[in-house]
Amino acid sequence: MGDIVTTVKKTWKIISSMGFAIGLLVILAVSCALGSFLPQGETYAAYAEAYSERTAGWIVALGLDDVYHSPWFLAMAAFLCLNLLACNLVRIPQILRRFRAAGEMPRTAAAAEAAADQLTAACRDSHQAEEWMHSLGFRKIRTGTTEDGRECRYGVRGRAGLWGAWVCHLGVLLLILGFGLGQTMKQEYTVYGLPGDSLQVGDTSYVVTIEDFTVDLREDDTVEQYTADITVRDVSTGESHRDTTSVNSPARMFGLTFYQNSTGWAAGIRVDKNGELLQDENVCAGDYLTVADLPDLVIMLTAFYPDLRMTDQGPVSASSALNNPGYLYMVYYQGQVLGMNVLTEGEQVTIDDYTVTFHDPQNYTLLQIRRDPFTPLALLGGLVTILGLLLAFYFPLTQVWAVEDGSGEELNGWTVRGRCPKGGILFRERFKEVTQGDGN
Amino acid sequence: MAINNLAIENGLFTVTMLLYFAAMILYFIFFAMQRERPASIAAILQTVGFALHTAALIIRGIGAGRLPMTNQYEFATSFAWGLCLVCLIFVHRYQFRVLGTFATPVIFLIIGYAAMQSKDVRELMPALRSGWLGFHVSTAIIAYGAFGVSFAVSMIFLLRERMKDNDFLKKHVPQKEKLDMISYRAVSLGLLFLSFTIVTGAIWAERAWGTYWSWDPKETWSLVTWIIYAVYLHLRLRRGWKDRSAAIFAVIGFICVIFTYIGVNTFLPGVHSYK
Repeated sequence: MGDIVTTVKKTWKIISSMGFAIGLLVILAVSCALGSFLPQGETYAAYAEAYSERTAGWIVALGLDDVYHSPWFLAMAAFLCLNLLACNLVRIPQILRRFRAAGEMPRTAAAAEAAADQLTAACRDSHQAEEWMHSLGFRKIRTGTTEDGRECRYGVRGRAGLWGAWVCHLGVLLLILGFGLGQTMKQEYTVYGLPGDSLQVGDTSYVVTIEDFTVDLREDDTVEQYTADITVRDVSTGESHRDTTSVNSPARMFGLTFYQNSTGWAAGIRVDKNGELLQDENVCAGDYLTVADLPDLVIMLTAFYPDLRMTDQGPVSASSALNNPGYLYMVYYQGQVLGMNVLTEGEQVTIDDYTVTFHDPQNYTLLQIRRDPFTPLALLGGLVTILGLLLAFYFPLTQVWAVEDGSGEELNGWTVRGRCPKGGILFRERFKEVTQGDGN
Repeated sequence: MAINNLAIENGLFTVTMLLYFAAMILYFIFFAMQRERPASIAAILQTVGFALHTAALIIRGIGAGRLPMTNQYEFATSFAWGLCLVCLIFVHRYQFRVLGTFATPVIFLIIGYAAMQSKDVRELMPALRSGWLGFHVSTAIIAYGAFGVSFAVSMIFLLRERMKDNDFLKKHVPQKEKLDMISYRAVSLGLLFLSFTIVTGAIWAERAWGTYWSWDPKETWSLVTWIIYAVYLHLRLRRGWKDRSAAIFAVIGFICVIFTYIGVNTFLPGVHSYK
């Protein structure tokens, strides 16, 4: 039993130690750097082509193809959380003790001396001592007497700074937890379509209707903004809301956030059979249409050029304005390419009994839809981390005591003592400046 | 951007560069020859250079109708401005002119890098048209500037160790403990502002891209930089890593900052890439 207790204590000590934290941070930093150099999410074949079969094997085996989601990376993040939690728990009593002690005026000269880190100066009287304390930045000075009846003054500031590192650790912990939980619990969907389309949002009860989609262009043909006007309806309750979403200004409805993510071109593909309309559907560039009565025949809209120019390198678009629409298509029959070409508006291609034309090009919108209930937690973690750093760096605990020298009839002046462990030499210099007369 | 504005900004930028260069040379003479007067002139030139640099950035901002912080040129010149600002504050705060000797070459290198970039004013893509841009980039500028100052102070520390003591050094170069403390203060400022940068960037990314953290190389390297300086602070506490070790660590940290700024934008593709 004793051995188990000892082992637990030792483990706890290691987990809550700063050394453990430093080790984890270094490994995490190296792993992050590695993940940024090595392309992530590639296939074994891609790594083998870029490096070698052997290296690719190692990359995949060690999870370096997805560093940030690999079990060892997640384990390190979990250990860091444990370390932060343990470190903060262990330090609470110590910080509380120091926090309370700093708030109380030392009642004996010996107590003041013991904590004064040898920064002392002699002064004439209480008036001068208070002046020095004011010059050192202490506005509120407490007055009292020591246990042996001597008068004393006490100033303290930056007690909150004692909590700086603790608050910072808490912030990082909340941040990691918020991010980790968000990654696990988030819901993410994408839908794309043209104005007028109603699109089911994944497996939810929500349907998005794209009322309108506009691409605002500047005079120089660059894009100023993409804006989608959308209505979201909860089919289970019939409730619906309408809002616009644009880049940097997502719409938030039903606890979901709708982002205007990207756009592209779509066009209508009309198929006639023996001169009669068979089907007419909108297809996004990169997508295809299966001929209704001959499923083996597939027409793919490979690319779209709003302002078609034919060059030696092939078709290009001279601008994003719809000046001369060009449709690059491919025809497949039973999975084999039957042909490909570029058609302009009004041109058609005939495949046996079928005639295909492309028409009415327009921009489609791709919406990203997310629900991450832990984003506020991660944000809170970030803000708490900043608060902790502010406290730790800019509110260092600083104390100044002034005690009457001697006792009874032998009173012969005052001794001022100062202390700021984090201020180091800069506080010592300031203390000297003030107490040696040139600090004002 | 009106042609006049661009021409004025160009002129001011060139004069700024020349002033920084002159200040650098004078600071070098001050330190190498151990003469007082060049430092006084260098300090004036650096301050005037900074004022003109500020004017150049304001004029570019007015001309472009936005904050001048969105491409490699603009961020580089802003980075040099931030470093100069933090340097001037630290020189004033700690009465520490030698800092100029080691900070001005870094300022000059960064503004020189800016001079090699395209100065074209381009319209912003929709994702960059956000109020968060100002918060995100301006905090990054201060953070990088502060890390630059910690680098300069650490270099002074490392050099000071190898130099024989004399009256000049006693008068102008603070003792090692103070140098260490100043470097620590600069790192503290940098880490605080880097944290602001990361958090404001995350808030912006959440609005623009639908995710506040996507392991984009710039994000990742900002995190790496943050971790390196966090380790620096912990080592100071735990192992009493001060003086030489801390100085070396601060130099490594700044190399990492430079990689985060230039290396990542240049070599690693991502949403912050200018390729």
